Amino acid sequence: MTPTERNLRNGRRLGASLAFPASIIVLMVMVVPIFMLFRYSFNHFDSSVMVEGFTFESYVKFFQDPYYRKVFLNTVGVAAVSTVLALVLGFPVAYFLAKSQSRYKSLFIILLVFPLMVGNVVRAAGWMVILGNAGFVNFVMQWLGVIDQPVRLLYTPLAVVVGTTAIVLPYLILTLQSVLEGIDFSVEEAAQNLGASFPTTFRRIVLPIAAPGVAAGTMLVFILSMNAYATPVLLGGSGITMMAPALYDQITKVSNWPFGSALALVLVTATLIMALLSSWLIHRRYVKTMAS
Amino acid sequence: MAKVSLDRLKKQFGASVAVSDFSLEIADGELVAFLGPSGCGKTTTLRMIAGFTEPTAGTIRIGEDDVTNVPVHKRNTGMVFQGYALFPHMTVGENVAFGLEMHKVPSAERDKRIGKVLDMVRMSELRDRYPRQLSGGQQQRVAIARALAIEPRVFLLDEPLSNLDAKLRSEVREEIRALQRRLGLTTIFVTHDQEEALAISDRMAIMHDGKVQQVGFPEVLYEKPANLFVANFLGKMNIFAGHVESPGRFVTENKLALAIEGSGAAATQVGVRPERIILSAEPLGPNAMPGVVDSSVYLGSLIDVRVRLDSGELIGCQLPNSAAAGARPAAPGTRVHACFRAGDCVLFSE
Amino acid sequence: MHIPWARCFHRLFVVLMYLFMLSPLIFVVWLSFFEDTILFFPPSGHTFGWYKKALTDPAFVNGFITSLQVAALAAVCGVVLGVLAALGIVRYRFRGNRPVNTLLLSPLLIPSIVAGLGIYLAYLQLENLLDMRIVGTYGGLVIAHMCLTIPWTVRLVSASMQGLDPAIEQAARNLGANGRVAFMRVTLPMLRPAIVAASLFSFIVSFENLELSLALVGPGRTTLPIAILQYLEFKLDPTIAAVSAVQILLLGIIMLVTDRFVKLSQVV
Repeated sequence: MTPTERNLRNGRRLGASLAFPASIIVLMVMVVPIFMLFRYSFNHFDSSVMVEGFTFESYVKFFQDPYYRKVFLNTVGVAAVSTVLALVLGFPVAYFLAKSQSRYKSLFIILLVFPLMVGNVVRAAGWMVILGNAGFVNFVMQWLGVIDQPVRLLYTPLAVVVGTTAIVLPYLILTLQSVLEGIDFSVEEAAQNLGASFPTTFRRIVLPIAAPGVAAGTMLVFILSMNAYATPVLLGGSGITMMAPALYDQITKVSNWPFGSALALVLVTATLIMALLSSWLIHRRYVKTMAS
Repeated sequence: MAKVSLDRLKKQFGASVAVSDFSLEIADGELVAFLGPSGCGKTTTLRMIAGFTEPTAGTIRIGEDDVTNVPVHKRNTGMVFQGYALFPHMTVGENVAFGLEMHKVPSAERDKRIGKVLDMVRMSELRDRYPRQLSGGQQQRVAIARALAIEPRVFLLDEPLSNLDAKLRSEVREEIRALQRRLGLTTIFVTHDQEEALAISDRMAIMHDGKVQQVGFPEVLYEKPANLFVANFLGKMNIFAGHVESPGRFVTENKLALAIEGSGAAATQVGVRPERIILSAEPLGPNAMPGVVDSSVYLGSLIDVRVRLDSGELIGCQLPNSAAAGARPAAPGTRVHACFRAGDCVLFSE
Repeated sequence: MHIPWARCFHRLFVVLMYLFMLSPLIFVVWLSFFEDTILFFPPSGHTFGWYKKALTDPAFVNGFITSLQVAALAAVCGVVLGVLAALGIVRYRFRGNRPVNTLLLSPLLIPSIVAGLGIYLAYLQLENLLDMRIVGTYGGLVIAHMCLTIPWTVRLVSASMQGLDPAIEQAARNLGANGRVAFMRVTLPMLRPAIVAASLFSFIVSFENLELSLALVGPGRTTLPIAILQYLEFKLDPTIAAVSAVQILLLGIIMLVTDRFVKLSQVV
């Protein structure tokens, strides 16, 4: 072996051993157990204890039980509405930030990152203060005379949608903003120079070029919404049940590992499929043969 | 095609004035170059004409119409951007078609124009390619075709050649000029490269710090620069400071007497272009300044010679690499006379 | 845009959206100062009293300390292991480089609640195997959180490593430094911002995490987010608002510090 080859081999060995400890932990503690969890979904549940085996009964139960079907549809519904809302509300903000030359721009960005850092529980608490029966919205509406009794806003699907949208909106804006910033502004100017008004430029030039980024952002937001735990628990309560809290309860409160794992597998798979689908749809609509 | 009239255009950003008091009449079919160093305001002025920037003061007329407040997309000023700004998600053909669609050209006519304009820039075969599949030069031609397809009243080019390599630059420059002449396009060409401006323009406007320094035919600007900035920006110039002692006689600070033409009694500087200076062993003509060759740099087609005059100044001379000059190389240390005519002197009073 | 009112409307819309995103936090902080014991608008007065209560309530104090300790430890260990791993992956390209990189980043793709239950499962198995308690222990939490801090560290530090201009280390070697010295004295210091950012960011991510810890806490040892959640399932009052406000303040400050080292907008 030449010295160069030996150096290379030693380098490779060193590299592998450097990465080893981290890899072992992640593998053993997180990755392998996920597969085990999914294996459990095919086990049998005997009223309070899991029994090894191979059966589809958990899945059958899920698909046949109208309650769990509703839980699933609730989750998809909330996630879909939140995603669309976030897109509609977030795009103008992202565009504003991307085009902004203000020296306060980094402040605006920090203000977006800030809510993401403080945790979903605290943010949900905030929405409870706003939407509760004794909360701010009810107070203002009563004060204005629009209603005389508090309206039930908290513990409804509406509250979960509002809370989820508020949580995912910053992620979307940050993703879109970075995509829009990457678009060469002179391309927009060229379109206007050629006779396109602003709305036309936006529709025919900006959106198609931003499409891959929009697709990625949409996927991210949809996945986050589907997997939400704290927000549905605190803002939905008994008014609406979603998949993540449901599967958590199945495993920790009822100890029904097979059913809980089945719900988890359904959640992960459905989320992945729907996210990829929405991403593909956006690509198709806007992106012609742009294979890079 | 139409004429363009700029009347006292001004653009101010906060406290800094990017363009001040720019007035110019561009005739129908004329190619005017805006030339100047970075930050002189040439691109800002171009963008005001296109409509991307609103002037702080002044008006812009295209033909008989005052377009100062007309939005970009209604001005019909076809522009070629420095980075070409081709739509990455559209083919060459679609890029060119876009403007036609915006101007509501019926589709039969549209196809005809696209074909015609792509032929003009010799890009017909690559009609279905995407911009990322094209070289820089090809992208630039598409950009030109796209701007011309809409049959603009004014053709605007913002440093279109600066991203091309040197060889390509002069070729494309010639093509653009030929195209412009053939179509009779009123054109404004922004550049920082003086050779480009000199080669391609009917008239030139040199700008510095937001102000127009001089406007006119290229030869006039070069031979008779209005001020020191133009003199030094266009080519090189040897400057002698001093005063006019009597008509036709200028005395420099180092007591050198120069024969000048004209009665510029207020002149405080005299300039002479390096290529007008002849180096000879014997004095020739009214201005023959004795000195010693200080350095001689071989630049291929010309030879750059520095001569230290006996009176102290260091002047630059440019000798062509001709047979005659080659036979008598000016080696450092040689005693020579730097000779030029009275008519070669340009007077400045700054 | 040439239409001035459109621009105005756009700006107004942006302000509204920011209010929408930030209002929960604003209201939580405001509530923490309300004088009444239950939520009621308009508040009859304002007081700092709830903060005193929150900071002396053992449940919250324990939660806060646990979260602090777990986050700190998970961040430190995670950063050490993560930096080593990033080094191995980026500098010493070994076979299986890419899959290992994907493995180390995978926890970020798994839904937290599922990941949390997976870890719970792993611990239950290990408890049987090793005959010792893991769920509900301090160490169990730390190792679980390392599955968060390691991926974030790998992501931040590899990105920084890949962005380094190789010419700089080459210049050092050209000037006479051998490989090791060039690395320690030139390359590593250039990575410092990324490493500091990774540490701080890992701390934040671990501290505010809920779903990973949910199944792993036990009586007497819980994290602050979980304590807040459990309280909120029953009651919403200024006390819990004060506790939440403390979390907001702490994480907000750390975030501002982190922002000096890395552009957070690119990270999240």
